[in-house]
Amino acid sequence: MADRYSFSLTTFSPSCLYLGPFNTLRSGKLVQIEYALNAVNQGVTALGIKATNGIVLATEKKSSSPLADPTSLSKISLITPNIGMVYSGMGPDYRVLVDRARKVSHTGYKRVYNEYPPTRILVQDVARVMQEATQSGGVRPYGVSLLIAGWDEGILPEEEEEKEKEAQGGESEEKKPSGKTGGILKGGPMLYQVDPSGSYFPWKATAIGKSATTAKTFLEKRYTEGLELEDAVHIALLTLKETIEGEMSGDTIEIGIVGPPAHHLLGVEGVEGAKGPRFRKLTPQEIEDYLTNL
Amino acid sequence: MSSPFSINGGAAVAMVGKDCVAIACDLRLGLQSLTVSNNFPKIFQYGDVFLGLTGLATDVSTVSDLFRYKVNMYRLREERDIAPSTFAHLVSSSLYEKRFGPYFVSPVVAGLDAKTGKPFICGFDSIGCIDFAKDFIVSGTATEQLFGMCESLWEPDMTPDQLFETISQALLNAVDRDALSGWGAHVYIIEKDKVTKRLLKGRQD
Amino acid sequence: MAMFSQNPIMNGPNYSFSDTPKVNAPEGARQHRFDPYTDNGGSTLAIAGKDFTIMAGDTRLTSGYSINSRYHPKVFKIGGTTADQKDASIVLSVVGFAADGEALKERLDAICKMYRYRHGKAMSVKACAQRLSTILYQKRFFPYYTYAILGGLDEEGNGAVYSYDPVGSYEREQCRAGGAAASLIMPFLDNQVNFKNQYVPGSGEGHALQERPRNPLSRTEVEILVKDAFDGAVERHIEVGDGLQMMVITKDGIEEILLPLKRD
Repeated sequence: MADRYSFSLTTFSPSCLYLGPFNTLRSGKLVQIEYALNAVNQGVTALGIKATNGIVLATEKKSSSPLADPTSLSKISLITPNIGMVYSGMGPDYRVLVDRARKVSHTGYKRVYNEYPPTRILVQDVARVMQEATQSGGVRPYGVSLLIAGWDEGILPEEEEEKEKEAQGGESEEKKPSGKTGGILKGGPMLYQVDPSGSYFPWKATAIGKSATTAKTFLEKRYTEGLELEDAVHIALLTLKETIEGEMSGDTIEIGIVGPPAHHLLGVEGVEGAKGPRFRKLTPQEIEDYLTNL
Repeated sequence: MSSPFSINGGAAVAMVGKDCVAIACDLRLGLQSLTVSNNFPKIFQYGDVFLGLTGLATDVSTVSDLFRYKVNMYRLREERDIAPSTFAHLVSSSLYEKRFGPYFVSPVVAGLDAKTGKPFICGFDSIGCIDFAKDFIVSGTATEQLFGMCESLWEPDMTPDQLFETISQALLNAVDRDALSGWGAHVYIIEKDKVTKRLLKGRQD
Repeated sequence: MAMFSQNPIMNGPNYSFSDTPKVNAPEGARQHRFDPYTDNGGSTLAIAGKDFTIMAGDTRLTSGYSINSRYHPKVFKIGGTTADQKDASIVLSVVGFAADGEALKERLDAICKMYRYRHGKAMSVKACAQRLSTILYQKRFFPYYTYAILGGLDEEGNGAVYSYDPVGSYEREQCRAGGAAASLIMPFLDNQVNFKNQYVPGSGEGHALQERPRNPLSRTEVEILVKDAFDGAVERHIEVGDGLQMMVITKDGIEEILLPLKRD
């Protein structure tokens, strides 16, 4: 039976006893997930850098043929007005996850609370989708790793510092609006990586894909605390330059940033309380401008 | 009289002051004209947010428990307290979920925004339509009486003490003209980092 | 519908003629029925002072959601010698079904005039109040659909207010609100005229608490109270608005004041 029919199921097996035909595993690892990670590690490199006032996501837009039209290709996607994501690995799987992320941020959050989910909540929701694919029958894990970047409303790290200073200096015993269960009200830029297993990690800066190791070594050297968004874009391009195979141009590079509210993208003016999206993709022209200053 | 909203009776009201809000309810629980209990509070506290529920008593209990569960889950998931406006939309969507078999309650929400300290109040119909008011919200079987009292007693920028006096007089005099409400009251005055709860005796008839 | 809205306005038709489909009738057949009553909305208010009485009412006349008139008085002088009632000393306010109110006013006025011819003196408010009760009760099984309030000065010269239900049950009171916004105004009056739920600060706890002493209100205080009460009612009741008609009854006669109310 086993050699005639195969079925998709991710399972543990007693370690080393049997190298199963399909999904069984050695030494406590789920081979299906290993395969998915292999797909990721063969993928085009993508990176993310968190700055004090924003985040940059960058990747290479590789076309397989000189005849391909790169303008219609898009690897960085907007999920909510303040959250965007990029991937490394299998493109079709990524598109499914983008759909799910957009859907779940509405059905599971905006339709309930009339506000978009904070980054961590969205990351957890996407991670759950990916984890479910490792434990359900008839499916395979998603062959992608994601970088999810977002901006959360709340108290920014520097504001918090100021408050602490004030509290130490002043004699007022006023109770701070502190979190009863931890870091509440924590706002500002957030950068996460999600893997096919469903695990996720918060980063200051990271890279995924083919040249992830090289890129991360480079980032470790270039990253400093207190980075501004403009510097982060600069570093992102330098890192990409280290790993890229083709030439760098506005058409071959894709950049998404989380920055100040982009009011020009709102489409309306004079609406009270309306805020533009913080996440936006840079146009090829903007990228060219950065490249000339490199 | 057979309306589910007026079997058990009860009244609730919320008001905005200067950097403070107040919410109050009566304590009666009845079965038509028979009073069963004089200690049935209709205001529930979830962190910094307050919810007043009038209507069918069984739904008042059920809905208050449901929101305690939902707010606790929110706090665990998000590691933060729910904001009053967020809670209001949670109430709205939860009620609309039961669009064709609603809970027979008329909720009132009151609280201060933790970040800005801005007063927030709002009310709902039983299927979740939100009434964002800048002054006051009333609900329950003494709705008309409360509207009359609030409309004439309320004024902008009241201090916590003035707000307490105003909301108490509004509620007490309103429920005294409603046979289904009264028998004492609870009043909450919510300031930036202080909440004062008071029990009003009122008329016991 | 009414179950969700809790809105008493939606209960029952608001029109005189109902055009309801006949039960078990062939397609298209309709039963026509004359409904003799309409609720024309509006609200009235009366407060008795020490040596004066103020009777007030808005001047809007509605039918369902329509405004039929923005000036249709509900407060009338009763029992003067002439048509312009300039020597009258009693005021009647009626709210509910406007036609019945009009009929009741004419009837009571005629009776008061007859009394004056027969007795050679004006009717006292007390007597007029009793007479109004009998008029209403005579139509016990086809009532005037009106909530009447009678106001004037009693034999001692004190303000007097008598309030009625549609079939003549009545009571002398310090103050009374009637009509569409009665439930909005009445608790306000309890609080501001009779000082209900007000206590002397620091006078004790529980039963030891001293009620705030009731001192008679001045005419200006009452006029402000009436305006405030109606401003509140206008804000929250669609059947109340347009104009506020006030009659101030003193020993020197009746003064009529007309103030604007919101017209939306």
